[in-house]
Amino acid sequence: MMNKRVRNLSADLKKPKVKNVHETLRRIWQYVKADKMMFLLVVIMVFFSAVLSLLGPYFIGVAVDVMTGTLSFFSFKLLLILLLGIFILQSVTIALQNYWMIGISQKAVFALRRDLFGHVLHLPTSFFQQTESGDLISRLTNDVENISRTLNSAIIQVTTSILTLVGTLAVMIWLSPLLTLLTVTIVPIMYMGMKWITKRTNYYFKERQKELGNMTGFLEETLSGHSMVKLFHQEKRVIDEYQQRNEKLRRAGYWAQVYSGFIPKLMNGLNNFAFAIIVGIGGWIVLATNSTTITIGIIVTFTTYARQFTRPLNDLANEFNMVLSAIAGAERAFELIDQDTEAKEEGKQALSTIQGDIEFKDVSFSYKDNEHVLQSISFHAKPGQMIALVGPTGAGKTTILSLLTRFFQEQAGEILLDGQPMKQLTNQSIRSHLGIVLQDTYLFDTTIRENIRYGKLSATDQEVEDAAKLANAASFIERLPNKYDTVLEGNGQGISQGQRQLLMIARAMLSNPSLLLLDEATSSIDTITELKITDALEKLMQGKTSFVIAHRLNTIEKADMILVLKDGKIIEKGTHSILMKEKGFYANLIETQTVYE
Amino acid sequence: MKVIFKYADTYRKAMIIALLLMMVELVVELVQPIIMAKIIDEGIVVQNLQAVYVYGAILLVITALAFAAGIMSSYFAAEVSQGTGYDMRNEMFHKLQMFSVMKVQQFSTSTLLTRMTNDVVQVQNLLFAFMRIMLRAPLFIIFGIVMSFTLNVSLALILLATIPLLFVVMFLLMIKGMKLFNQVQIKIDQLNSIIRENLLAIKLVKAFHRMTFASKRFSQANSELRDKNKQALWVMELVMPIVMLIMNIAMIALLAFGSIQLETTSAQAGEIVGVINYATRMLASFGVFSFLIMNVSRGRTSAQRINEILTQTVDDEVDERREKEKINGDVTFERVSFHYPNMKRNVLENIDLQVKAGEKIGILGETGSGKTTLLHLIPYLYHTTKGTIYIDGKEIDQVGNNVRHDVTLVPQEGFLFSGTILENIRWGNEHLNHKQAEKVAKEAQLHDFIMTLPNKYETRIGQRGVNLSGGQKQRLSIARAIADAPRILLLDDSTSALDTTTESHVLQAIKKRKCTTFIVSQKISSVKDANQIMLLERGKIVEKGTHQELLASSALYRKISETQEREGVQLDDE
Repeated sequence: MMNKRVRNLSADLKKPKVKNVHETLRRIWQYVKADKMMFLLVVIMVFFSAVLSLLGPYFIGVAVDVMTGTLSFFSFKLLLILLLGIFILQSVTIALQNYWMIGISQKAVFALRRDLFGHVLHLPTSFFQQTESGDLISRLTNDVENISRTLNSAIIQVTTSILTLVGTLAVMIWLSPLLTLLTVTIVPIMYMGMKWITKRTNYYFKERQKELGNMTGFLEETLSGHSMVKLFHQEKRVIDEYQQRNEKLRRAGYWAQVYSGFIPKLMNGLNNFAFAIIVGIGGWIVLATNSTTITIGIIVTFTTYARQFTRPLNDLANEFNMVLSAIAGAERAFELIDQDTEAKEEGKQALSTIQGDIEFKDVSFSYKDNEHVLQSISFHAKPGQMIALVGPTGAGKTTILSLLTRFFQEQAGEILLDGQPMKQLTNQSIRSHLGIVLQDTYLFDTTIRENIRYGKLSATDQEVEDAAKLANAASFIERLPNKYDTVLEGNGQGISQGQRQLLMIARAMLSNPSLLLLDEATSSIDTITELKITDALEKLMQGKTSFVIAHRLNTIEKADMILVLKDGKIIEKGTHSILMKEKGFYANLIETQTVYE
Repeated sequence: MKVIFKYADTYRKAMIIALLLMMVELVVELVQPIIMAKIIDEGIVVQNLQAVYVYGAILLVITALAFAAGIMSSYFAAEVSQGTGYDMRNEMFHKLQMFSVMKVQQFSTSTLLTRMTNDVVQVQNLLFAFMRIMLRAPLFIIFGIVMSFTLNVSLALILLATIPLLFVVMFLLMIKGMKLFNQVQIKIDQLNSIIRENLLAIKLVKAFHRMTFASKRFSQANSELRDKNKQALWVMELVMPIVMLIMNIAMIALLAFGSIQLETTSAQAGEIVGVINYATRMLASFGVFSFLIMNVSRGRTSAQRINEILTQTVDDEVDERREKEKINGDVTFERVSFHYPNMKRNVLENIDLQVKAGEKIGILGETGSGKTTLLHLIPYLYHTTKGTIYIDGKEIDQVGNNVRHDVTLVPQEGFLFSGTILENIRWGNEHLNHKQAEKVAKEAQLHDFIMTLPNKYETRIGQRGVNLSGGQKQRLSIARAIADAPRILLLDDSTSALDTTTESHVLQAIKKRKCTTFIVSQKISSVKDANQIMLLERGKIVEKGTHQELLASSALYRKISETQEREGVQLDDE
């Protein structure tokens, strides 16, 4: 079930299309709902500011007429005061609507971020395995950022545009339906023109993006391989190749910019065209037909309205795209919230202390249907024993560890911890007794001290340093310029693989687990560091049940039990000396020194 | 900013044409109300249909003219902006290639990337906007004020006084707002890094059950972002209402003054209406200014970042004219020390070393002991900070980067370029034919593997092709290096992912080539037969000698040797 949903999700990723606008808007509304009254106030303010922005110019017109004597008003001073009031109110309502809207939207986005992140943290491990982390991160960052930006401005802008559009249109029809009809004729022309342009801009912007991507890839490669370019004296050739790519980018960029430059010109041209039509045809109507419904005044007013009419239309088109992309982003974010989290742990038992007795009874597991990763695994590890897992890639070694960390659940059979089925215990209590030292583990962008403390958040500085000493990590840490306060960056760049291992061991030391899961490093670590690691691990494993994915004979020899895995099955089981006597797969592996590269 | 115009100058003609076309548009826009007034005054009011047609036709023609000018200016403006960006990119890339490895490291790949992509795009957009809309608004305002002065001097003075006030208020608010937005960006980055970290380390988070801890950290950053964002947005959204208010108050002042003038002087109503008209249009064009200030400030930052690269001195220029002398392969280090710029600690200290052509040197040592740095000095990628290196008895500073014609280094991670396997082997030597490529692939023990691939030597590797394992990458890197027929070969732990048998075959083949070979390794077995083995510790040579000598003299060497022998087998299965 779970797998299917996850796969659908990744298939959806490729085309960011809006599927259910209504539903997504409803869910966004859930976040805004708390400030319903405030939201209403914003809408009222938008309405007022729109009306005031129409009233202002109108009264200026009145004032001019009063001044010139074509209109009489009881007091010119009062008129100016009225005008001042209108203008102040206009600015105040605009400022207020923005102020409140920003408050609402930031609050909503805050809550959305909180919910998303909290939810994602509780998704099952299988989800993370099947979803690209880059995409996931982008949903939590870019998509939410997009929603945030749109919520801030789009609502006010869209409402203002619609109000202006409707208002202008109403006034225009009221003044003269015939001239309105004339003005509206530019809408289809505008539509067709825009379509013609966007067809081209879409194509060329995509081309440009593609070429930019090509060029960036090339740049990335030649910059990170800068020393290779230098070593092989290939500067000239690289420069030539770059120029070719740059040239392609220029061509695509040129056309994209040319066509996108047409858009404002088209709008402007059409505005002027409408202007000419209204004046020309309007004038003809006035003169030739002696019409009483259309006057000179109306024509003058109409020319300004025609301008006001196309602007919100253009704005709306822009905002529409913006809103659409934000909704698509919101959909992608909500898709995450719709993923099922790890099963609830009600009714499960928590173990406060454990002995470390582990028994696998006929355990089977598969990530996908029909593909058995583990088949009928059975063994018994007594407290304090060390179990070595040996076998080629894909044999299922890591999966056994993943079952013990409860990242995955066995599908058949039972895993017993101190005689109790793991399925009846809470994940939290199992994990609290667990220490893991993995190869591909992560170091946080913070101080070394905090990275070690991650094993036990309540640990004092002294405890952290003691753990580092015990893990043989203290000597290298103290050689660093800022010692324990050295800030690691980019997943621990700048410290070696061996040193990472030492930090991880220190972290595990601090959490003082009863059960240990280790994945020996395969990459090359210098022998001196290697000795330190071996020594530290021995200290760490003392008196604890431990499972080790082993690559080194040293380690394997010491195991109380070796499980030789192949294609998801245990093919041999026993100590080193017993297995060597059996002359089976394991003995062969050791004797021929086969290395699976 | 200067740098932009320096580069745009190449396209001066196109730029002038684009600006002229923009002026045509502007003039049309300014003339339009006059023609409209004529249509009304001389046509409709006096019932002259002929005049309506004539002026209507003129209006249509100049509208069409403005439209055509606008469309055409798009071509010219795009030529300028794209051409400038193109030239900047080429120049920057050329510079980068002439930078030393150290310099590129100082800048870091990611900032160089953004400078060459985002920053250039930013500058291009600025240039394009500059030629098409940015100049329009200021010109329009200047023109408007001039026109107002011709209409009514004292009213125009009111306008003239208002404009600078508006500018100052707007500018101050926007600067404040942009500063706040920079802070918002920092908060966004912080939040994103928490997200990224916890998602990448999700297994760790779960295994240690740190969900609440993670949420708490996130929540902290989240609320900081919200507060900063609110602040920044408020400031930015204040700009428009304040600008409008000031301009509108100026309008009321115009009306008040106008009415006084009407009563006391001979001012005409038309003048006042005209000035008010221009004021209204100016207010409308002020919207562009917020856009303008934002873009200019962004473009300036980008231009600065680009300029930083363009003004850097190149410190590793390729000199093609220089005589290429074949190197024999003697290498001497004389009291060589090295430290990175901005760092005090010496990475290498007082290294003395004498190597004859064709010898093999083994280098052992802990991570961070300076092994890789030592290798980087020989091809002149890094320069010594003290002491001298001699190649064939000649100071390396005299040979310069020409030394690289005969020196090759194979890095540990085996850096490959995207392309086919053959292209990668040929990377250093384009004249290599297929036969020769096969030969080096065989030496690197890679030929058999290549033949199992669907397209053999033409198989694409990297992101869009076959993924190679660590060991395969290392062997391909070695093949590429020996294809260049180096006199000095530097192997930086570049056989670490190979199994013992394959490794020894590769090393045998290299030995036959009789070039001077430096091998950095963790495994004693790969340096056992070296003429000299050095043990490095924190940048110093602590032991030096042959395998036998070191076994006798060095306790540390013995210990390493014993440990590795005991291990014997590695059940590696990467």
